[in-house]
Amino acid sequence: MTMETFDRLRSRITSIDSMPTIPVILRPLLRCLDQPVEQIDITRIVELISYDKTIAAQCVRMANSALFGRHKQVESVRTAVMNLGMWRVRDLLFSNSLSQVIPANRWIVDPTVFWRHSLGVALVCRKFAEILGYPDTEKAYLAGLLHDIGILVNSMVAPEEFRAAFSKATREQIALDEAERATMGFTHCDSGRVLAEAWKITPDLIQAIELHHDIGDPVRGGPLVAMVHLSDLLCRLRGLGYGYYEPRQVDFANERGWLYLVMQFPNLADLDLARFTFTLDEYAKEVEELVSTVFTR
Amino acid sequence: MPIDSTVLANERVPVDALTDPVWTRIRDLIYQVSGIYQAENKFHLLVRRCNVRMKAVGSRTPREYLDFLTERPNRDAEMRNLLNEITIGETCLFRSMPQVEALRKVVIPSLAEVKRKLSYTKLRFWSAGCSTGEESYTLAMIMLEESQKTLKGWTFEIMATDLNERSIAKAQEGIYNDYAVRNVPPDFKKKYFTQAGSNFRVADCVRPLVTFSRLNMLDDSKMLFMRGIDVIFCCNVLIYFDGKSKTRTVNHFYNALMTNGYFFLGQSESLYGITEKFHLVHFPGATAYWKPNEPVLKAGSA
Ligand SMILES: C[S@@+](CC[C@H](N)C(=O)[O-])C[C@H]1O[C@@H](n2cnc3c(N)ncnc32)[C@H](O)[C@@H]1O
Ligand SMILES: [Fe+2]
Ligand SMILES: [Fe+2]
Repeated sequence: MTMETFDRLRSRITSIDSMPTIPVILRPLLRCLDQPVEQIDITRIVELISYDKTIAAQCVRMANSALFGRHKQVESVRTAVMNLGMWRVRDLLFSNSLSQVIPANRWIVDPTVFWRHSLGVALVCRKFAEILGYPDTEKAYLAGLLHDIGILVNSMVAPEEFRAAFSKATREQIALDEAERATMGFTHCDSGRVLAEAWKITPDLIQAIELHHDIGDPVRGGPLVAMVHLSDLLCRLRGLGYGYYEPRQVDFANERGWLYLVMQFPNLADLDLARFTFTLDEYAKEVEELVSTVFTR
Repeated sequence: MPIDSTVLANERVPVDALTDPVWTRIRDLIYQVSGIYQAENKFHLLVRRCNVRMKAVGSRTPREYLDFLTERPNRDAEMRNLLNEITIGETCLFRSMPQVEALRKVVIPSLAEVKRKLSYTKLRFWSAGCSTGEESYTLAMIMLEESQKTLKGWTFEIMATDLNERSIAKAQEGIYNDYAVRNVPPDFKKKYFTQAGSNFRVADCVRPLVTFSRLNMLDDSKMLFMRGIDVIFCCNVLIYFDGKSKTRTVNHFYNALMTNGYFFLGQSESLYGITEKFHLVHFPGATAYWKPNEPVLKAGSA
């Protein structure tokens, strides 16, 4: 999209008073998560969680869920946090805070579908980062989690148009950004960028949000863009998409984003992609559990 | 109270009964030998199957059983037994819906598009290692359906082969119990089956599409005759072959396929380490191997 149309979109989005605000909890958490896991003070986390009855209850519920099988009944928040591990607690916190970014009655895409996809992409993206040896796996996680926030913006600023775009995508079984471009003239990538800029997220995350579908040729942005792009595709192909069938065939090893990453991280060429794909189905279960924990109130 | 660092460091802890790291090693071993991958959320199945074999050989712990698979003199035979156990009773009609959907919504349309340009309106399938015919008839029903919709006037041919004559005979009979047809969509069941007592008999309109014959895939001279195929299915068969025979068989498949043709393995099987001639392609919920125009080296392998 041209600078001009983008500027127009920006003023349209930022002028409305219902623009999603960055969840308060996100900022300190983002800072806190910069520390290596060993340094995280578990007592402090338990204390923080205990202030929020909903989250505390969710931690306990999730620790008792089928995913963890036949553990003894968990009752205290502390045991729950210990059993879940820091990553899952963090997943819970994030999904909770982000699920409140827009009011419950404003969702156009089913919120559980949206969070399943976002969390799925976050997990896969972090896994990618680990495999590649990309130094900042947490950033990769966050990029995955936030990549589709434009969908939330669209639900707020252009609900009717976006509803039409989403139902066109579902009906014609085409990619969402394609349907958006056809019906609205902009995509959730464009509006996601506007929101991300307003939230003053770091530039590489903004790029991942803006370019995750149309990564450019040659690839614009950095590895983060390519990782989010591929993780998004993988999730859509492994049951963590937008809830409708997308008839498509993807040849990952010859995909532009993949080739770009192979150039930067040659070890990717040795990845057993089939096996990697099979392991993703393990995530689907995990994500399912998490999302249903957050959304059954 | 000291923090249990393993809890913090270990991201995703599975269920206690399945946490024994030996299961992961057995899983990896099976994958290495057969290309079949058991995802962690399916470990309970793996454990159940191993338990059957553990009872049979009299080993009490997974650790000990791993020895049976790796150290004991007849470890290869035991691996075969385990693989048998893993694939047992798996087969049914419409076993993998994602595979069926990929075929209907992506593979067939894209093959048809290429062929239409050449004014060639025929598609040929090969179900290799077809066992008792479930997969072959599933294919036939899907193609019949397409021939009434998107592919009017096209012809189809399904070759179904197996080593085992008894299986072939059973396949030709085409009678299945209700467990074998449990996944068949209701409208297909109505159209393409007739009730035979408590069983289901494949309808006469489906049968002529499939030709069953005995074929040993390790018989090179026979394999060389298979040519001009558009889609090959070979599910849960290569697992029994050693590395060399696998490569040889897969090469035969490659030559048997037309350019742009597809090769499907079982749901969680892979060709990793067997050949790089094919491209691994992803469909929603399914993967397949695709024969490109020219053999292309995998990205990055210079
Ligand atoms: C586990 S069954 C799989 C059957 C079916 N494809 C499925 O996925 O359910 C393996 C089949 O491979 C066949 N088979 C094993 N070795 C073979 C060979 N060398 N040539 C042809 N078929 C063979 C067996 O007879 C058996 O029917
Ligand atoms: Fe997106
Ligand atoms: Fe996405």
